[in-house]
Amino acid sequence: MVLAVFVVRAMSPAFVDEQLSDFSLPDRVQDTLTLAISVIIESVPFVFLGILLSAVVQVWLPHGVLARHLPRNPILRRASISLLGMFFPVCECGNVPLARGFMVGGFTVSESITFLLAAPILNPITIITTHQAFGWDGHILVARLLGGFLIANVVGWLFSKHPNPQSLLTSRFAAACMLGSTSGHDHAHNRESRFSRTTEIFIRETSVIMPALFIGSAVAALTQVFVPRSVLLALGSNPVWSVLAMMALAFIVAVCSNVDAFFVLSFGSTFLPGGIVAFLVFGALIDVKMLALMRTTFTSRTLLQITVVVGLMSAALGLLVNYVA
Amino acid sequence: MLPDRKTNAALRYWAERWQGVLLSLVVVVATLWLGLSGQLGLYIHPRYFVFTMAMAVIGLVLVAAGFARRRTFEVERTGPVETTLTGVGVVLLLVMGVAMVIVPPTTLSSATATQREVNSGGLGTDDDAEQAATLIGTGDFEQLSVREWVSLLAQSSDPAFYSDKTAQVIGFVTPDAQDPENVFYVARFVVTCCAVDAQPIGVPVYLSGWQAEYEVDDWVQVTGRFDLSVSAAASDPLAITPVEILVVDQPNDPYVY
Repeated sequence: MVLAVFVVRAMSPAFVDEQLSDFSLPDRVQDTLTLAISVIIESVPFVFLGILLSAVVQVWLPHGVLARHLPRNPILRRASISLLGMFFPVCECGNVPLARGFMVGGFTVSESITFLLAAPILNPITIITTHQAFGWDGHILVARLLGGFLIANVVGWLFSKHPNPQSLLTSRFAAACMLGSTSGHDHAHNRESRFSRTTEIFIRETSVIMPALFIGSAVAALTQVFVPRSVLLALGSNPVWSVLAMMALAFIVAVCSNVDAFFVLSFGSTFLPGGIVAFLVFGALIDVKMLALMRTTFTSRTLLQITVVVGLMSAALGLLVNYVA
Repeated sequence: MLPDRKTNAALRYWAERWQGVLLSLVVVVATLWLGLSGQLGLYIHPRYFVFTMAMAVIGLVLVAAGFARRRTFEVERTGPVETTLTGVGVVLLLVMGVAMVIVPPTTLSSATATQREVNSGGLGTDDDAEQAATLIGTGDFEQLSVREWVSLLAQSSDPAFYSDKTAQVIGFVTPDAQDPENVFYVARFVVTCCAVDAQPIGVPVYLSGWQAEYEVDDWVQVTGRFDLSVSAAASDPLAITPVEILVVDQPNDPYVY
């Protein structure tokens, strides 16, 4: 099977042939495809890495070991969890399978949400690239780190008040979590080799994450091809609109948090710093592709609530930077 | 029409047991093939090449293990409506998967350049300005690429500064938004992460009725000097008055980083 797909790829046309141009796709269709493929090729390595780390948490580490070594006070506990990204720099797409692994491995729903929202910003790669792009100029790096930390913990705290956290999850994933919490004692499972269980996790996680990634990439690509960007760029110098426009741009561009600083740097001359900060905070946590990925785990209602709170807090942060800093 | 029980179970099994592995296989094959044929740069920034290829190899091992696994695989039971939706998803994903393997890789076209507005972003860093200043100092102006000219033009639109400097730039043809009849850009995409964030940049060229000789998306090498644009409507005050325009092949690395 593996060979067959390689052969098909090798036999298919390698370049757009001028003489065969009758067969070529219309520009916009071709560009949509190019954009979607580029998001997929960019994200999949991180997804694989996230799934492997998730398997490490579920299969190779003793059950619940991570959860046991964290502080017991819920606020301190979530604060520590929001720093876990420093040890798992897997970018936002890889964080989804990892957060799922954490939940199966004993984290509560609100703790996983905190991790999911903090890790894309509070991780070494994002910090280095943001520093490379902006240095200490205009407090952008500091605002991004503090903002990310604050938002993740506030959202985590809000969801920790939920009377029935399991209802925040899709029924399918809630069932998988129940299975995970008992599997530590399951003798049938213990007889299976760790590698075999890793393979099973790979099969199950890719069956959920890959379709979401494909759909998310297709939506991101379609939005980019059909929504003119000039509409957003015209709003750059207004303190309020620059923030909202950059958040909208972050939502549709769906660039990884590891490198979004380089991308947004090129808009530095057009947009006020508050807009840049809002882009760097909101875009790292929420965008079209991430919503599709997170929908594998959380209900639409939960995602809407997360998006609204993160959006409001990012906008407030951006406005604060524009008006105060 | 909703699926019967047998189809329902089969579809569910396919979606949970095989879909993820197959989609991963498609991505791994596409990535490895692009990497080996030197075309990965059409989609992502070179700084990710090593990581992406390494993860693709690891992914290939996992995919092979996924195919080889013989243990019984339990799947969830779902209602017919949900399974129908899954079925639609499976078909859609198969189409995307097949497209990923058989459609020839290519660069973004000027349709995207127009949509993203040429020179609206993608530049403006100090590095670009420094690089351009250094190259200007050498006096060998034909070494300056689209990127450097664009960053110079952003700093100064004084025609006197450009009067003794001949530019020679390579890029694809995309029409000016304001005066598409008389002005086109020699454009390139700047990529920071992957093609999704590609920002078009370009230098304007004034040539009345250029469409008669060149097509949008043609790759061209334009030689000439900057002067006040004859076009009153054009987006930029300056434009190259071309001495020579050659149609060239698309370069191996069409994007600039």
